[in-house]
Amino acid sequence: MNESKQYRPPKWPDKLLGWFCHPKHLDIFRGDVYELYQDRRENGSKIRADIGFFFDILGLCRPFAMKSHKIENSNNIPMFKNYFKITYRNLLRQKVYSFLNLSGLAIGLACSILIFLYVNDELSYDRFHEKSDRIYRMVEHFEDEGNGEHSASQPFPTGPTLQSEYPTEVVQAVRLFNFQSPTLALSNKEADKAFNESRVFFADSTFLDVFDFNLISGNQETALDNPNSILITASMARKYFPDEDPMGKFLELQGRQNLEVVGVLEDSPKNAHFQFDFIISFSSLKPWFGGGYPGTWYWNPCWTYVVLGDNVSKEQVESHFPEFVDKFFPGFIKEDVTLELQPLTDIHLHSKLDYEIEANNNVESIYIFSAIAFFVLLIAAINFINLSTARATKRAREVGVRKSLGSSKPQLIRQYVFESVFMTFLSMIFSLIIVAIFLPAFNGLTEKAVSFILLLEPARLLTLIGITLIVGLLSGFYPAFVLSSFNTVSVLKGAHQKTSGLNFRKILVTIQFAISICLIIGTIVAINQLQFLMNKDVGFDQENVVMVPVIRSPMGQHYENFKNAALQSPRISSITAVEEIVGAKHQVGNYQFEGMEQSKPYARFNMRHDFAKTFDIPIVAGRAYDINVQTDDSLALVVNETFVKSMNWGSAEQAIGKRFYFRSELRGKVVGVVKDYNFVSKHRPIAPLVLTLNTRRGAFNLFIKYVAVKINSQDVEASILDIENAWKSVMPSMPFDYFFLDDRLNDSYKVERKLSNVTIIFSVLTILVACLGLFGLATFSVEQRTKEIGVRKVLGISTSQILVLLSKEFLFLILIAFVVAIPVSYLLTKEWLNGFSYRIGIEMWPFMVAGLLTFMVAFLTVAFHSLKASSINPVETLKYE
Amino acid sequence: MKYTQLGEFEELVLLVIGSLGDNAYSISIKEELKRHTKRNPSIGALHSAFNRLEKKGFLESYEGGATNKRGGRSKRFYLITTYGRKALDDSFELRSTLYHSLPQLGLSE
Repeated sequence: MNESKQYRPPKWPDKLLGWFCHPKHLDIFRGDVYELYQDRRENGSKIRADIGFFFDILGLCRPFAMKSHKIENSNNIPMFKNYFKITYRNLLRQKVYSFLNLSGLAIGLACSILIFLYVNDELSYDRFHEKSDRIYRMVEHFEDEGNGEHSASQPFPTGPTLQSEYPTEVVQAVRLFNFQSPTLALSNKEADKAFNESRVFFADSTFLDVFDFNLISGNQETALDNPNSILITASMARKYFPDEDPMGKFLELQGRQNLEVVGVLEDSPKNAHFQFDFIISFSSLKPWFGGGYPGTWYWNPCWTYVVLGDNVSKEQVESHFPEFVDKFFPGFIKEDVTLELQPLTDIHLHSKLDYEIEANNNVESIYIFSAIAFFVLLIAAINFINLSTARATKRAREVGVRKSLGSSKPQLIRQYVFESVFMTFLSMIFSLIIVAIFLPAFNGLTEKAVSFILLLEPARLLTLIGITLIVGLLSGFYPAFVLSSFNTVSVLKGAHQKTSGLNFRKILVTIQFAISICLIIGTIVAINQLQFLMNKDVGFDQENVVMVPVIRSPMGQHYENFKNAALQSPRISSITAVEEIVGAKHQVGNYQFEGMEQSKPYARFNMRHDFAKTFDIPIVAGRAYDINVQTDDSLALVVNETFVKSMNWGSAEQAIGKRFYFRSELRGKVVGVVKDYNFVSKHRPIAPLVLTLNTRRGAFNLFIKYVAVKINSQDVEASILDIENAWKSVMPSMPFDYFFLDDRLNDSYKVERKLSNVTIIFSVLTILVACLGLFGLATFSVEQRTKEIGVRKVLGISTSQILVLLSKEFLFLILIAFVVAIPVSYLLTKEWLNGFSYRIGIEMWPFMVAGLLTFMVAFLTVAFHSLKASSINPVETLKYE
Repeated sequence: MKYTQLGEFEELVLLVIGSLGDNAYSISIKEELKRHTKRNPSIGALHSAFNRLEKKGFLESYEGGATNKRGGRSKRFYLITTYGRKALDDSFELRSTLYHSLPQLGLSE
């Protein structure tokens, strides 16, 4: 043997060789390069030898020499058949696991599909119009030092004037108007059908050009061109003209105006921010205003939509607004008015203005719902992962056999991923069935009409399949990885499997419970806040108040008679008339008090005598309007306490006698101060308010919209009958309509109610799913420790000690989850509550309740298993040892 | 005549292996090729050729002859198979037949 000196070649190219080279060649190749290296070192420098060594190895990097990752048999179809069969057998063999696994995931998926449908529908609002990206609603901010209004509607001339001023930028404009009236009376005299309708609008002839609402019959181009024309929806056609073709027939509006039906519209789409049943041509309004349209720039009752030209930006048009306001708005409000364009598609989720046509939703609830959907799905996926890995030990032997028969790791991973994807698809099918069953109930809860068919559209179906695939792959990969990494020999020997990944699983369980606890806390806080909003004293009596819509009815002439007739009844204690629904809405008026240079806008409320008495609002100072003082109508005002404070008038008593301008003279006096009451919903703080007595008969055309009747009887039905009789005695031909004030006011908190309903349901489901997971894990943990428990039982452990032994581990996890959940939910609920002017404080107890609840449920789940484990006869578990 | 699928480099390698007899392994083959052809094939190229020739059935191999120089690792020795020998014969025959059919340049005899 050659005894010459041994040189050591550099290490890292050698490692490179080891990394890529197939083991079959590795020894020979390595020998070759070492030999060459020795030769080079003997005849030359180290550096040259090193470089040569590296290039030799690089040169060996050839396809034939590489490690092979190819599976020799590329025909996989029989393999998949086998996977399928194994999946099926496992499904049947481990029924409990399969059930837990599938149902958990199915519930999770169903929840997120439902929420997905809801969110999808919310986001689709007003997008069906072809021009929806170019349509804007004009918004008028009319504000001075925080008092005033943010109006969704405009003065009559705004739309047409804007269009004629900037014809190239503002292509079309359409106004909607409804007398600011909650209902208008329509009747088909021939068929003797008369109803009060709430969804009636006067609209410019451009209505059908701007918006894409489909006509079933009638002429799209000319439908609203002529005065005294009306379009009705298909369901209204059935209501008023049940057996005949409505085209060319007549409807009578408010008993005064005959309108010809010139078209039938499809029912208004649910996903539009305003719903309509009747559209009347705008020119039909002229007779109501003495032959023309009101020219005032102060009264702003018209919802005005404009279509901008192609490539005209919102900002470009808005830049003209200051100039526009200056040119047209009256001097005394000019400084307080700013105009804005609001994208049509933003209205439903982002708009919270005064005088919205309908209450809009809140984008926050969309975020909250989406987050809930995500978390429910996450929890379900975590379950799936946990149960699959826990189940893995059961299948260790299968893995061992497969491995010894030559399955490679990638093949095994593929098998288990296949299995999990298959399972997710199965649960997706179940979840679709669940969705199909519960969608009507969910629709009822959220007041929507989402159809199941929507899910079967190709794009959505693909999304669903995509989600399923992602969930399946993500949740299948980890169990597959754990399963395939079992050591063949030890598995086949039946040795106890080290449950690798237990820590990972623990983390997942902790996350699950942290999310559940957060959801419970959130739900409790949401319910509390809702209760608080609905129950908190609003400062006036909303019980037993019947509201009767009277605007534009002949009530003006008959009010006194009606009042006297109704008060004859012992069941009716007081009657007044008001401008808007007390506690829901107000209007704005300009007032100039002593010491002010100019008039300013204030929240204003028109009403008749006995207002404070009917609503039981205490008078803090001065007096209420007195029916015996004739000048109260013009020279007296009643204000609220906040008003006094905002004027710095000192005490309520000091405010009495403060003067205000009436027809440019300082003649009026403040005669009374009422205790603060929530004249709008508790979403807003109480603002300064002016209560104005309006005894003019014409007031019933605009300034008085409802008669409010306080009943003092248990017999509600008889009281209503009394009111109706009084009504019939003065206006026999007008349809009588009424609602209860407290019912209507509860509607103000619809968004919060929906939110709390949905969160209750989904957090219950989340807990359920999380417990399914815990149940599975506990089963697994008990199975793992049967022998240990056997030994302990032989040594005399008691049942309760077993309980402690087994539940300790899980309860510790829940404790950690609780500690994590507290700050997170504290911050989130605090953020949410900050959106309310009236809010509950964050207290300890929701946190404690949520923690205890989770603790209890988890404990019961684990206890069930512990009892089962403790009842096993140790002989059974130990005799094979 | 059947085409034997023997590339030029492969033919050379095969010839060298034959000429080396019992001592034909990668390094010795490399040295021999270098001596005869003045080219210095890389070890990777050689192994690639061995691999191909073995697949085609022209070569057999066995392992042995570990040395210190190689860090105690075996060499892989190569032998020409009968089939390989026949391929060389065929190739030679083909070439010489074709060569003899070339027109004479007239310098000889």
